[in-house]
Amino acid sequence: MIDLLQVLILGLLLGGVYSLMASGLTLLFGVMRVVNLAHAAFMILAAYLAFYAFTVFQIDPVLSIPMIMAVMFGLGVVIYLSLFPRVEGSARYVEMTVLMTFALALIVEGLLTFFFTGIFRSTRPEYATQSFFVGDLFIPKGQLVALGVSMTLLVGLWAFLTFTKTGTAIRATMQHRTAAQLVGVNVRRISAISFGAGMALAGASGSLLSYLFPFFPSRHWQWVAILLSLIVLGGLGSLKGAVIGAVLLAVASAFVTDLLGPTWSPITFFLALFLVLMVRPQGLFGKVVRI
Amino acid sequence: MSEILVEPIRDSGEEEVTANGKSGRTTRRWVLIALVIVVLALPLARPWIGAYNYVLQLGMIVLMWVTMASSWNILGGFTGYISLGHNVFFGIGGYASGLALAYWGVSPFISAVGAGFIAVLVGLLIGLITLRTRGPAFIISTIALLLLIHNLIDNWELAGGASGLSLPLPPLPLDWLKVPFYYGMALCAFGAVGLAYLISHSKFGLGLRALSQDETKAEVAGINTRLYKVSAYALSAFFIGVAGSLFGYSLSYLRPTTFFEIGLAAQMVLMCIIGGRATVAGPVIGAILITAVNEYSVVQFGGTALNIVVTGGILLATLIFFPLGIVGSLREAGRLPAFLDWD
Repeated sequence: MIDLLQVLILGLLLGGVYSLMASGLTLLFGVMRVVNLAHAAFMILAAYLAFYAFTVFQIDPVLSIPMIMAVMFGLGVVIYLSLFPRVEGSARYVEMTVLMTFALALIVEGLLTFFFTGIFRSTRPEYATQSFFVGDLFIPKGQLVALGVSMTLLVGLWAFLTFTKTGTAIRATMQHRTAAQLVGVNVRRISAISFGAGMALAGASGSLLSYLFPFFPSRHWQWVAILLSLIVLGGLGSLKGAVIGAVLLAVASAFVTDLLGPTWSPITFFLALFLVLMVRPQGLFGKVVRI
Repeated sequence: MSEILVEPIRDSGEEEVTANGKSGRTTRRWVLIALVIVVLALPLARPWIGAYNYVLQLGMIVLMWVTMASSWNILGGFTGYISLGHNVFFGIGGYASGLALAYWGVSPFISAVGAGFIAVLVGLLIGLITLRTRGPAFIISTIALLLLIHNLIDNWELAGGASGLSLPLPPLPLDWLKVPFYYGMALCAFGAVGLAYLISHSKFGLGLRALSQDETKAEVAGINTRLYKVSAYALSAFFIGVAGSLFGYSLSYLRPTTFFEIGLAAQMVLMCIIGGRATVAGPVIGAILITAVNEYSVVQFGGTALNIVVTGGILLATLIFFPLGIVGSLREAGRLPAFLDWD
């Protein structure tokens, strides 16, 4: 019993981080109908930034988050403005943008491999290896910190979307792009901000990833596939769905890891994806999107 | 998506071969015949080729990519469904034949066709599940399928797991080792291009083009879209599976990373798009061009890291500046030379 509870807790801890990782992806899809295949590549880029901030300047990965988020936000806006308006209105918008982000992911991966080599890296702040016990339950401190950061950022994102004018405009664009435009939302500006925000969230996730998981450049495919499975389960474009999908699958994969070993854990996500597509293609909270 | 049609729907290309008309068709016929002869005769020119094995190896690789890009085109071009994990069938073919050789001693030259059918079968099963969705969810499922199979093979002890499975070399003198692989791959390439041609000239192909433009309308027009796209998915797997079987044997060592790297899928996508989607000649031109670029960049930069950057960069530039690809753009401008118009 205590074992099951232990696995459940580890799963929930990870679920929080996965939620943060997936939030940027699903936000972007909601606003722009873009599946950003480069999301995880940018996460890994941020992980390298956090890694070097830590090893060179001794800045804690959690403290480097605001800085990294700012850098990634700027990068996101630049990438958005230089690439996406060119294909806006294209008859094959969805697949054009997917292929563009696919190309971006390859470029980022190649550059990362070129500059940082393919060696496994991991940031080692003190809390990453510490842990404590609540009764008989073992709680890794690093993951708890990561959960706290993730929750804070997700609540922040929620508050931003709910209470600010820009946030309202983003939600309006998610609901109906043309209608939002009609009531005076500058959709391009909103898209640029959302792209930046998505990248900033990828940046924050990357900082956390840098001490939670060992990483190397080509690792991002595994990550993006996992995150995409999460958001398909939750329903593409739904933030609530992404969080619930992340927690469900993180817990499921924690149990699979416990039973079969860590190599089988990614398989959980992919099998879940096929299961979802078989049973409920639109996901838990997705609308049936006709594109 | 009721906007302008990107690609012209052509019921039969024969009647409207560019401005060159009948003489154009004759030119094209001779160019194609010459091409086939050159491909088939290359291994016979042994006395005149310096680095014989290198040339045959390179030829085999080009033919392999022609096979892959042409096959990808059936789904990604004609049907408009993007698969970013299509090399999963390459791996399935490679492993199916490899296992048959390692455990039952069946030569991949015999089992290659069977490997192709296994790839088709997997394509059918997976297609029935994943093609219930359109657009993004399908694309995501193709990546997930690739990583799923990759992970499964990594954990499959019988197939050597992540460290790989070594195969016996074919019982041939070393000097002639490349020849059967070359011809096998040539057959694959002819098959894949021929299949693409047949599809583009059939009612089936017309249906695929219709559903790639607007699936709902195609359905209303009486096309069984589900059947069509699942068939396209499965058909596109066949020659990739056969090519995987031959390629794996030619390496005589199967490793999951050789077959299941997503970079391979990226190459297929790039070749098809740069050459021209939904055209017959496009993927062939793309395959030759990109293999040349790859070969050059490996010679120039050595490593593979920058090669990925080059692949991504060319893909991005193509998408932004000429999304119709070489053949598509030339055709739109009315400047497509007849010998490149294979539709």
